[in-house]
Amino acid sequence: MAKESLVKIAQLSCGSEYSGIQKEIDTAASMVDAEIFFPEISIEDVQNVEENFGFKVASPDLKLMMARAKAIVEGKTMADAVLIASCFRCAEGALVRNEIRRYIYANSKIPVISYSFTERTTSSTLLTRLEALTTTARRRSLLAREHQEGLTAGIDSGSTTTKAVIMKDDEIIGTGWVPTIKVVESARESLENAMVEAGITRDDIQAIGVTGYGRFLLSEEFNADLVQEEITVNSKGAVYLANSQVGPSTVIDIGGMDNKAIAVQDGIPGMFTMGGICAGASGRFLEMTAKRLGVDITELGDLAVKGMQQNVEMNSYCIVFGIQSLVNSLAKGSAQEDVAAAACYSVVEQVFEQQLQEIDVKEPLIMVGGSSLIEGVPKAMEELLKIKVTVPPHSQYIGAVGAALLVSGFIDK
Amino acid sequence: MNDDDIISKMIVLHSTFTLPSDLVIRIYESKADITVKETCFGLIIEGERSVVDEVAREMRTLDPNRIFIKERGVPPGDPHRCRAGRGGGPKPGFHQHELEFPFLPYITSALEEIERGEGKGTKMTRSLPIHIETFKDIIEKEVAQSK
Amino acid sequence: MVKVFIYPSNSLILSDLIDRFGHEPLAVMREVGKKIRTAGLDSPPINITPEDPKIGLKYAAVEVPSGVRGRMALLGPLLEEAEAAVIVAEPDISFGCMGCARTNELVNFLVRTKDIPILELDYPGNEEDAKAFVHMIHDFLEGLGKGGE
Repeated sequence: MAKESLVKIAQLSCGSEYSGIQKEIDTAASMVDAEIFFPEISIEDVQNVEENFGFKVASPDLKLMMARAKAIVEGKTMADAVLIASCFRCAEGALVRNEIRRYIYANSKIPVISYSFTERTTSSTLLTRLEALTTTARRRSLLAREHQEGLTAGIDSGSTTTKAVIMKDDEIIGTGWVPTIKVVESARESLENAMVEAGITRDDIQAIGVTGYGRFLLSEEFNADLVQEEITVNSKGAVYLANSQVGPSTVIDIGGMDNKAIAVQDGIPGMFTMGGICAGASGRFLEMTAKRLGVDITELGDLAVKGMQQNVEMNSYCIVFGIQSLVNSLAKGSAQEDVAAAACYSVVEQVFEQQLQEIDVKEPLIMVGGSSLIEGVPKAMEELLKIKVTVPPHSQYIGAVGAALLVSGFIDK
Repeated sequence: MNDDDIISKMIVLHSTFTLPSDLVIRIYESKADITVKETCFGLIIEGERSVVDEVAREMRTLDPNRIFIKERGVPPGDPHRCRAGRGGGPKPGFHQHELEFPFLPYITSALEEIERGEGKGTKMTRSLPIHIETFKDIIEKEVAQSK
Repeated sequence: MVKVFIYPSNSLILSDLIDRFGHEPLAVMREVGKKIRTAGLDSPPINITPEDPKIGLKYAAVEVPSGVRGRMALLGPLLEEAEAAVIVAEPDISFGCMGCARTNELVNFLVRTKDIPILELDYPGNEEDAKAFVHMIHDFLEGLGKGGE
């Protein structure tokens, strides 16, 4: 692929150099053709920032962060994108990080990502995040696309399942959904299924877009016209399917291995978080529960909406200990429905606690991905957030639809 | 800490009659084996600790109360975190200098007092919070006046 | 010559005064310099690697943010060497190595737990106080004598 234009990412951070991870940030940035820089400010900007920004904090480096954020918003420094980062477990840092993120999001069109790191943060953990950030900065016009045109295919190679869709002039005419066993072979099979349903052959497809965990492998195999991380693709797919391309929305995708919570404005991701440490907050937890209950994963949701999560005591979110709680409850005579509901609630609650605090949740809230079809999951989210949750049609194909939609911009006319 | 460790020192000038170039000339005359870089604040010198310490001591004698010295962690011209290398703001240490620089004239006058044998035992004034009764009286007086 | 820990540890004024009055300032720049010049490390800008926050575990538990522990890995050795200390309370602003308030609180605490002479000063707010600041440091350092000789 041709070398992309350089994206200048302003880093607003406290502690990265002292945690020994600045090199990881720089490396991840260079992998997505971006360059990290530290905005220029004057000492007076820092001295006056508490008054101007309105947040009095003790740590000087956080004042520096606020002053730099102001310089960006006021246009004194030109940045294509902003990375806000502070140490994990620092309360003061988290407060400032959140306020700066909101401030930039509300007062500029510059995409922002916020991250809390430890000394164990590596460039590979940062890569997808920075890729999404640079895409948003670089491809605003691509992301502005509201209609799918021509005959295109999208493949989403997820950690658990591989999804494919064929689209023709804003309509989904074929779908494929297979478990991911080997990345390339599963993708071939999934696409094949979609083509059979659509009644077309490979030669008919005008452009292919790939996304998801296995996107880089698929890119070569399918000679893809668009290779894109799942944050931008999923947000685009979600607002497209939910008919919510204009205005604000929130997209939540609880995946097989990681979760995404994305604040979207006019189809373009603004703030987002990706979680990926705990299996207890992922689709895997739901699969394990289904297995324990002896039901298919597709039946779990039905059960869950009939149950009451309050009837089951869970003392851990953990995929090992949490599941153990569920098994104990079953042994004590809890109803299957209640256990299913408790599992859905547990996953959603953890996503709520760990990720939704990092973004501003605005309606409509669109849940996507396979887990959104487990009715207990959106229901638990509604209970927790007290707002209505939308699950668009074809929500399990979200990444594939987003890729097919976006790649139609690459068709040679 | 070894004498042959390579270190850098900043020589910061706050003087109207000594210029960084005057210092540079003196260093060249001394033939000391060190690297010298002129900066907006003065000089950065780098070399073996024993040599750098010696040169710094000598520099100080040129204008003792207006030359200030500290060790510097980053070598002169280090590309990693300077404006030129990163296309943005300076190292945080630069802001530290910006903060301390305006205070140097006061330090100078105190050093001159010490040279003259003055100022021993001087303490900083400390404003203590006023007594609550005093504060109450003030409030009552102000309120009465505004009526 | 007495080894005097200074806080803020990257201050030009403190470092200079300790040095000119005949003592050895224990300043963080020395530790940064050692890191940067360590051959084989490649973790720009100041060569603190993910190993350093682990070294910092000596001073703060694992639940303490990595940035605090990484900074402690730099400042800790200076604390251990300290034979006296000059601490400026609530300096206006200080940056970089001293940019984290939590680290600074911990450093100040650890200095105070040592059985060494300590001069604690307020940050000067005006010319008179700035001059008094210098006199107080001068008087304190004179009182230290020649140290361990």
